[in-house]
Amino acid sequence: MGPNGSGKSTLANTILGHPAYEVTEGQILWRGEDLTEADPEDRAQAGLFLAFQYPAAIPGVSVANFLRMALNTQREEPINVKEFGAKLKHATGLLHVDREFTSRHLNDGFSGGEKKRCEILQMAMLEPKVAVLDETDSGLDIDALRTVAEGVNTLHRETGMGALVITHYQRILHYVEPQFVHIMLDGRIVREGGPELVTQLEAEGYDWIREEVGALDG
Amino acid sequence: MAEARSTKKGAARAATLYQPLEGRGAGDGRSVEEIRAAALEAFERLELPTWRRSGFWTTSLRELDPEALEPKHVEPGEIPAVVGEALGDERPAGLLVQRGATVVHAELDPEAAAQGVVFSSLEDAIRTHPDLVREHFMKRLPYDTHKLDAAAAAFWTGGAFLHVPDGVVVERPFQIAYVIDEAGTAQYAHTLVVGGANCDFRVREYDLAGDFTGPALHAGHFECYLGDGARARIAHLQDWGSDGQEVFDVSTHFTRVGRDGHATWIPIHLGGRMTRQHIELSTAEPGADMRHRGIYFTEEEEHLDLFTVDLHEVGNTTGDTVWKGAATGASRASYEGLIKIVPNAQESHTYLQTHSMMLSPRAKVDAIPSLIVETDSVSASHGGTVGEVDETQVFYMRSRGLTRHEAVRVIVEGYFEPVVVQLDDPGLEGLVRERIARKLAAAEEDIQAYAAAK
Repeated sequence: MGPNGSGKSTLANTILGHPAYEVTEGQILWRGEDLTEADPEDRAQAGLFLAFQYPAAIPGVSVANFLRMALNTQREEPINVKEFGAKLKHATGLLHVDREFTSRHLNDGFSGGEKKRCEILQMAMLEPKVAVLDETDSGLDIDALRTVAEGVNTLHRETGMGALVITHYQRILHYVEPQFVHIMLDGRIVREGGPELVTQLEAEGYDWIREEVGALDG
Repeated sequence: MAEARSTKKGAARAATLYQPLEGRGAGDGRSVEEIRAAALEAFERLELPTWRRSGFWTTSLRELDPEALEPKHVEPGEIPAVVGEALGDERPAGLLVQRGATVVHAELDPEAAAQGVVFSSLEDAIRTHPDLVREHFMKRLPYDTHKLDAAAAAFWTGGAFLHVPDGVVVERPFQIAYVIDEAGTAQYAHTLVVGGANCDFRVREYDLAGDFTGPALHAGHFECYLGDGARARIAHLQDWGSDGQEVFDVSTHFTRVGRDGHATWIPIHLGGRMTRQHIELSTAEPGADMRHRGIYFTEEEEHLDLFTVDLHEVGNTTGDTVWKGAATGASRASYEGLIKIVPNAQESHTYLQTHSMMLSPRAKVDAIPSLIVETDSVSASHGGTVGEVDETQVFYMRSRGLTRHEAVRVIVEGYFEPVVVQLDDPGLEGLVRERIARKLAAAEEDIQAYAAAK
């Protein structure tokens, strides 16, 4: 968590290797492997996933076809029709989207809520080891929020997936229980704690943290 | 995207190069042989053309040596392999293949023949259906616009003729293939299609190159006249190869839509050393409607010069044109698309848009949509975009595990896909997709260089 402009999305994009960001200091280490210079696709292969805050639309390719291509990057042999169908059925069930949704062009003409659901659908299909969710809860109504949270919880339970949830709002944390809470300010993680940190933020905002950090820096 | 709406008289075409044919046509009751003789006279009089748009575009034939080219007459019978590969397994309503100067194969489904359909070489049709041919031949095509126009009208041999009579509906397509498979070939092609009142059919013309290395010329005419209420779906696939074949293609295509009729016209340009193409679609009577979709993809040193005309000759007509292109290598592509609405054609409604995608730092693309509206009370708008691969899309797909190359392929295929599906023909759609994928693979280095340069 952190106020606007504190660097949360920058961190998310940097973890996945967005070409617009250059790492000038530090490393990205993942299971003993240095991914700092790795191509985005290699990071995905290593089990990282980013649910984008603003997912790009890809006209001309259906959600289902894109999922098939993405899954095939993880395999030696292309996924067979039956296995793919079963996986897709499971994932669409989990996220309460109908199958027709997956025949639409990827994010093309999707509403804000549909885009977010589509991100989580991809996450459910690709089964990453760690998913970064960049403000996936923004712009969702309460039902959609619950569905998305349920998806994250189920994947965590079923596959052991870890999730780094970037959010502005406490409300998603009513449905996803965090083990650790990190507060970012001006590009740095300035506080770490448990769920109680969220309660305190909800009551007092970020000002007290800013003051404390300022006092330390001063 | 620029947009202009016109509700009053006016004309604006500073950057444009080409003129619509409009009513100009040779057909005035003269016989085919009389027109041929007049065209020969024009051929001898005219010089090889060069087309120049002020300052930044030239289409020149200086690399073409007409003396080194001649029509190649071959033995009929064998269908060249390239035709089989391109046409796939679908059973057509008719298939006509011209190789070089000779029609080597012509067949018509007996069911269609029983309905009165005529499908043969144009040479044969002059003998078997002289009145039909004389009534329509070059009715709306001139023979003296430039030297190669005259050459096509003077020297054509073989050719294709299709007549679908009044009220006849044929589901399966008529396929016409012009094949060049020998260096030094000059191929002069002529296709004449006549659709009677309320008929409904599909016709496809394929321009294909066999395995050869060296120069060749294709100069052709295509003309299609549709009666009242007639509906036609026309596709045109040009693929003159990219493996040493150096085909120059200078052709003129014209289709006329009749009262309450409809034409869908989809030209696909996938390759040729130098192509200069004039494609004109006329909605000629009230209620006529046309839908025009096109694709081009140029690579290496190819030069493509397209001019399309959406001509409204009377009021209460509608049109809709969308062209999409991509350019790799050091290729040059120009698309000029004109909407022309003549005086007194009130209540014409039409739209034209053109999109181009640059895939190489060395490629050059021009997109020139233009409007000439000589009446009031119409809606006509046009727009154009020239774009590049969107790196946001590329990163999105890479974050899901696709390589950069795969991501670019998905983007480019997705860009063309809305036009490709309108071909409504799984065989042809598959061929177009496969060719685009091959071109992208071949241009991988350019695409990388372009991304790195930004």
